[in-house]
Amino acid sequence: MSVVTVQLGQCGNQIGYEVFDAICRDLHSTQGFCSKKENEVYQASCKEHFFNEDKSEVPVARALLIDMEPKVISQTLLKAAHSGRWKYGQHSHFCQKQGSGNNWAYGYNVHGPKHEESIMNLIQREVEEYDSLSGFSIIMSMAGGTGSGLGAFLTQNLRDAYPNSFIMNQVIWPYGTGEVIVQNYNSVLTLSHLYRSSDALLVHENDVVHKICAKLMNIKQISFRDVNQVIAHQLGSVFQPTYSSEDSFQYRRNPLGGFKDPALYTSWLQPSDAFCEWRTHRAFNKYEKSAALVSNSQFLLKPLDTIVGKAWNMFASKAYVHQYTKFGIEEEDFLDSFTVLEQVVASYCNL
Amino acid sequence: MGRLGRLGRRPRGETGAGPGALPRAIAALSRALPGGPSPETFRRAKFDLPEAVAELWSLLFSLLWLIHQEDKVYPRGPPDDLEGRIRFVKWVLHCHGYGRRRFYQLPEIDSQGSCELLLAFSWLLAYLSLPEQFLFLRCVHQSDGVWISSCKDLARCPVPLALGPKGRVDIRYIQWLLGKLRFHWRSLYASQQEQCTLLNKIHLYTRGCHSDQSIGHLSVPETEILRFPESSKQLLQQLESENSRLEAFLEWKHMELVYWQWMDTVLDASPGGMPNTGKQDVFLPEILQYCSPKYVIREMNRVQKNLEALRERLQEVVNQQRAAWHIKVSKCSQRLLRPPELSTSKKKEIQEAVGYELTTLDQDCGAKNCPCGLQRLVFRKAKEPNNSGAQSVTKVIQLLKKEEASLEKTLRRLQEECQQELAVLAHGLEGVIWIPPPYPRR
Repeated sequence: MSVVTVQLGQCGNQIGYEVFDAICRDLHSTQGFCSKKENEVYQASCKEHFFNEDKSEVPVARALLIDMEPKVISQTLLKAAHSGRWKYGQHSHFCQKQGSGNNWAYGYNVHGPKHEESIMNLIQREVEEYDSLSGFSIIMSMAGGTGSGLGAFLTQNLRDAYPNSFIMNQVIWPYGTGEVIVQNYNSVLTLSHLYRSSDALLVHENDVVHKICAKLMNIKQISFRDVNQVIAHQLGSVFQPTYSSEDSFQYRRNPLGGFKDPALYTSWLQPSDAFCEWRTHRAFNKYEKSAALVSNSQFLLKPLDTIVGKAWNMFASKAYVHQYTKFGIEEEDFLDSFTVLEQVVASYCNL
Repeated sequence: MGRLGRLGRRPRGETGAGPGALPRAIAALSRALPGGPSPETFRRAKFDLPEAVAELWSLLFSLLWLIHQEDKVYPRGPPDDLEGRIRFVKWVLHCHGYGRRRFYQLPEIDSQGSCELLLAFSWLLAYLSLPEQFLFLRCVHQSDGVWISSCKDLARCPVPLALGPKGRVDIRYIQWLLGKLRFHWRSLYASQQEQCTLLNKIHLYTRGCHSDQSIGHLSVPETEILRFPESSKQLLQQLESENSRLEAFLEWKHMELVYWQWMDTVLDASPGGMPNTGKQDVFLPEILQYCSPKYVIREMNRVQKNLEALRERLQEVVNQQRAAWHIKVSKCSQRLLRPPELSTSKKKEIQEAVGYELTTLDQDCGAKNCPCGLQRLVFRKAKEPNNSGAQSVTKVIQLLKKEEASLEKTLRRLQEECQQELAVLAHGLEGVIWIPPPYPRR
């Protein structure tokens, strides 16, 4: 079962590269404490999910790179090819020359419709190659213009084109003191739109990862590369082939299908339903033991509330709103987005 | 419950069978059913002897359990204790509409009522066509199949909901369940897609390999036998046992009448004399709680036969009425003035309305033509002519899509009604702002 990864925008493409790199390294790393046979099964399973065997025997990542400027994509393609261990497909990218100016409306209302056909054709061609499609994993940031606006547009389109497929979005939560002034607008608009079309939003907070780099890994000068690598490691270990609970001799065929019960202890849900454990005999990336936790909890409440609050304050004073109305996002659309997110916040408060 | 002899639907008369005929018939029946009874048990039951009770309860339980296994009647697995099994048998017979009160009054111990049990067994034998059922259930399949159900009552499986403190269900739990259902659906869809692609590959690659020209390609089980020739031994064994079951079935069919004639004597001899001469106890057959497609399809076929018979009778009546009406009309029209001409717009309106009604009727009737149940899958290239009378999958897909569209329409209508109700309720509450969800989630 194959996962199609769509890397969107600068952030999405850089992180996407790190994810495939981490998975590839894990593939080729020593088998640790598990048996040889076990290792082979693991490797085969992992490869099938994320890579395509090419005639040249260098695995090709099952990914599509999309950006509105050419620089990051060409860098990413080169880096992968240089590694010698894996590469991206020759025709698996789409880019333009203009950029999105960190404007969600530009990404959603201008780039989206303009390039809809080309991008969807690209995706369709990729999907047709596979025997089996497990689902889509879209990596994007919320704060910029391409990842956020185009990402929201694309997710909606994917949902319409593949109504029965699993769609998961990896959303990168910006730094609280980020550089983009309108990042809160972009975030609010992105989240409210994704909420309607996506099956799962997996959130990676830059602030939190930054702290991991500083305190746990003792990195002095933390670069985006470090942050990206930590996120990639987390994602890679979550996507590891795992045993399904019933049949402990076979790896779960569908890596995305397992994402059904996040850990959540609430009064109205039995812990056995709420907590789902997936095991594997082989630890990720040369660690002796590792554990990854995906949770759907009130942890997200504070950051979400903060962003919505800040965005609302800006909106109340109509700051920068004309940048959005210029490209067709009206005040009503903003209000709709706020409403949806307030509902989400309320639901989480009442867990 | 009338004379059991009539259930055999053959005229009473000589069978020309000798004294050993009954044990032979029962022995044949026994070979045609899994875990079949012995003639001795039946004889003891006729005389209501206690020794036969346990075996008959056990027989009834195992037969009914096997039949309803696919229906997932008992989510926890078969009951081990005698009481549990007796209760299960009674419940299933109740659902099927068995109406003998004395049966349900039997105590949950294994010492009484063998005659009643024998009567119940024979009723089931006829009503469910037990030997045929088991032939179908244990049939050896060597072809690829797909299960088609266009039954609207498919989704009747109640989910065991965890009740909260006040005995009510938390709405958040239901939302969570809906989400879980959505994810399971997506997984299922992905797996089925994969299966289809692989089936397609196998059928394509093995074209020209099958001895039967009209099929032309191998199925997955057949391909497996080529890959692992040792498994052909197992297949041979399965076919041999199926063969002996078929032979037993044929023998049973030849001797069936002997059995039913004997059962008539059992009925006469049963304690309590003639059954239900006075007030008939009517047990309405309930649809089994956990409805499965197979069960519903059986019922549907039954109902369909009745409907067709009814339709014929109605058609006769209609024709008669129509003829009478024509005579009446022609008499009247000679007396009446010519009616005013309808305006063209009015005519058009009437035509459209009638056309619409006809298409809806057509759609509703069209569903009847959709094949139901387990269908064999055979690969054909697009331009090849279809001589064998098989339905093309494209057509079936069209019919299913029509049904899907009509179901979605109904769902949307119900959702709108629900929203309106909620809006009215919310309007009555002070300080509450009603915000309906923006888009329908798939």
